[in-house]
Amino acid sequence: MCRQIYRLIFSVVFSALLAASASAAPAPKAGGVLNATLIEAPPSFSIHEEATVGAVWPVMPCYNNLVLFDPLKKQESLDSIIPELAEKWTLQDGGKSLVFFLRKDVKWHDGRPFTSQDVKHTFDVVREAPGIATKLRVNPRQLWYENVASIDAPDPTTVAFRLKKAQPSLILMLASGYSPVYPAHVPPAELRTKCMGTGPFKLKEVRPGELIDYVRNPDYFVKGRPYLDGIRYTIIKDRSTRYSAIQAGRQDVPYPLEIAKTIAETVKKSAPHLVLIDSATNVYDSFFVNHSRPMFADAKLRTALNLAVDRSGYIKAARQGAAVAGGVMLPPPYGVWGLSAAEQAKIPGFGDAAKQKAEARKLLAEAGYGPSKPLKLTVSTRAIPSYVEMTSYVVDQLRQVGIDATIEQIETGVWHAKMTRREFDLAVDQTGIGVDDPDARFFEGYKCASPRNYSAYCNKEIDAMIDKQSEIIEQKKRLDLVHEIDKRLQLDGARFMLGHSKEYVLMQPYVRNLVPHQSVYNYGRMQEVWLDK
Amino acid sequence: MFVYLLQRLATAVLTLFGMSVLIFVLLRVVPGDIVDIIFSSAGFVNPAAKAELAREMGLDRPVAIQYVRWLKDVARGDLGKSYRYDVPAWQVVKPRIPVTVELALLAILIAVALGVFTGVVSAARQDSALDYALRFFSLAGLSMPSFWLGMLIILALVSWAGWVPAMTYVSPFQDLRAHFLQFIFPALAVGYRGSALIMRITRSAMLEVMREDYIRTARAKGLRERAVIFGHALANAMLPIITVIGFEFAFMIGGLVVTETVFNLPGVARYLVDAILWRDYPVAQNLVMLIAVAVVTVNLSVDLLYGYLDPRIRYGTR
Repeated sequence: MCRQIYRLIFSVVFSALLAASASAAPAPKAGGVLNATLIEAPPSFSIHEEATVGAVWPVMPCYNNLVLFDPLKKQESLDSIIPELAEKWTLQDGGKSLVFFLRKDVKWHDGRPFTSQDVKHTFDVVREAPGIATKLRVNPRQLWYENVASIDAPDPTTVAFRLKKAQPSLILMLASGYSPVYPAHVPPAELRTKCMGTGPFKLKEVRPGELIDYVRNPDYFVKGRPYLDGIRYTIIKDRSTRYSAIQAGRQDVPYPLEIAKTIAETVKKSAPHLVLIDSATNVYDSFFVNHSRPMFADAKLRTALNLAVDRSGYIKAARQGAAVAGGVMLPPPYGVWGLSAAEQAKIPGFGDAAKQKAEARKLLAEAGYGPSKPLKLTVSTRAIPSYVEMTSYVVDQLRQVGIDATIEQIETGVWHAKMTRREFDLAVDQTGIGVDDPDARFFEGYKCASPRNYSAYCNKEIDAMIDKQSEIIEQKKRLDLVHEIDKRLQLDGARFMLGHSKEYVLMQPYVRNLVPHQSVYNYGRMQEVWLDK
Repeated sequence: MFVYLLQRLATAVLTLFGMSVLIFVLLRVVPGDIVDIIFSSAGFVNPAAKAELAREMGLDRPVAIQYVRWLKDVARGDLGKSYRYDVPAWQVVKPRIPVTVELALLAILIAVALGVFTGVVSAARQDSALDYALRFFSLAGLSMPSFWLGMLIILALVSWAGWVPAMTYVSPFQDLRAHFLQFIFPALAVGYRGSALIMRITRSAMLEVMREDYIRTARAKGLRERAVIFGHALANAMLPIITVIGFEFAFMIGGLVVTETVFNLPGVARYLVDAILWRDYPVAQNLVMLIAVAVVTVNLSVDLLYGYLDPRIRYGTR
């Protein structure tokens, strides 16, 4: 009996030790240089003046935000926000003041101390505060801070954002990679060609069009970080060369959102040692009509277009499974705010393809179009192979219901100019949003006055609903209203959602703590990344 | 000779002037400019801010004035400022010149060595199995774009050796072996294609020369076959070969654009494409002019070489 008890105790202790050793994460190792890949040189080093992951990804390691989405958590939400330059923060005045208490031990890369004046300066410049002399060359996210009435810096370690009305989303936008704090003592124009941050890495060398080298910031305020000695971003323009470089071990990590599913799987098959991570992102494919053209005022016509394009077929055929179906917001479990699959299925375009096409033909006939008088539409898209593939699918679907649709390929350089001038009938585009948050998404893409509301969709009632959800602090109540807006936008045909892109990240097995998020714009700090070599 | 040289230099200046007008106009015919592209990466266009930026960059001025200003700047040795990188254009272009020059020289060296040698052997062994094999080899080179061959080389290296050359430029002073490995494969890809035409011209020129009386005389004198072929036949067949080498050099610049991209070499040719896509006018214009100067210089050198290779040729003014 006694022997049996000993044996039991021994086996329990042994199993516990075994389990503990198996689950224990290896201790991070310091040192090494991460070889990261870029597909082109960043348009500039000034994150606040850019709206592309091409700028955020290679420049984020140089800067810090007030707060940041936890780089180690896959899903970004209010709960995953961690402090960076702010030690803590609090909501005051019923949510109308967001007050940050800053760290005292932070220095800019040139050795100057960081203070609350830097924070005030940065966000006053971005929101183009009255009386501010400094201006950004291009200011794509001024709208994010539309609700900020003023920014006070009562002492060097306190900064308060005074809001016109409560806005729980503001902290999420401040946690985005798009919201670094700039030094007040360096003009923004200079920050286009160099970076002067407080971040974990200092800029060592830039060879235009070839590479960007960073070295570890020895004075970084987080002790023991970063783990890496440096990061080298190499610009590799040719796609097959990029994959070969990863396969041969020249590069450690790819460029975000770059590797297509089929290619990722093929490379993984040839190089099984590589780690393949897939994740849905809030970069979404959509097609949209030009609402400023009178013909699209007809709701029947918009619904017919929506019904004509089979979404499940799109994901299977055009995207080969590299996307997930969803509404305006990224659906769960990837995102926080999206409609569930059951709710989404009730939206036109997401049901039975044959029945929907029949319904589309009927609506087109009611709108006055048919075989004798077909609706002629030009479908514009960027002259990029993946965009042309998406558009070909849409055009084929439209033709199946009798619409005489043709593709117009527009060079990327003039794409946004044409979209802003609304020189199109129907357009197919892929858009990414900095934060998986209703304010960022709705304000940018759907509010009447937004410069990035390319479809020119304008509905004052929806605008009011968007404003209302923005103020709701209680999450459940806000989620309900967000879902209502999501459905209304889709039924109105504001934009027809095709799918949310999945990201395929192929990286070397020794790269640790690089966790892709649902937003590709927010996990590039590299502070926690280490090499298990 | 001096007058001839002056005439050729004047023609070269006129050619370069024509090129400057052509590139200046063509770049501006393409829809969109750098201002559009800057706003494009921001995802929207603000007409007022766009107009202000265009004014700052001098793009609001008439094209003719922009052209004259560019010529004046070039004459002063000022290549302008890169719109894309916000730094002096020369700062961007300068480190790229040695990369392209080295690659072009290595490629032309391979092309000449391979092309002339196989051409001579093919002619010397006319209608033999070796001749057919070498002609097939050369035809394959002509049919294969150098960038495609470059891709095949990269894929072969990664599949068989699990290795690819360095993805960033390695200076020869830093690591000579890595530097050599970085350049030899793209040079092979470009050089092989170039060698094909040189081989075919060498072969036909050699066949023609080898039927001449003086070759028969040389053989009758008891000279060894190698001395006859390389000492007499090849020397007399060089004129068309030199002409083709000159042409090949100009074509090679085009081939380098994609080969530099495939092998990720930071050369002038790859950067030119980037500059054109970004409508980085100062950089694109100056790079095209640089390439034009190189091509014109090579052609002039080839013409002057004729006189050296064939003493019967004398340059006159009539």
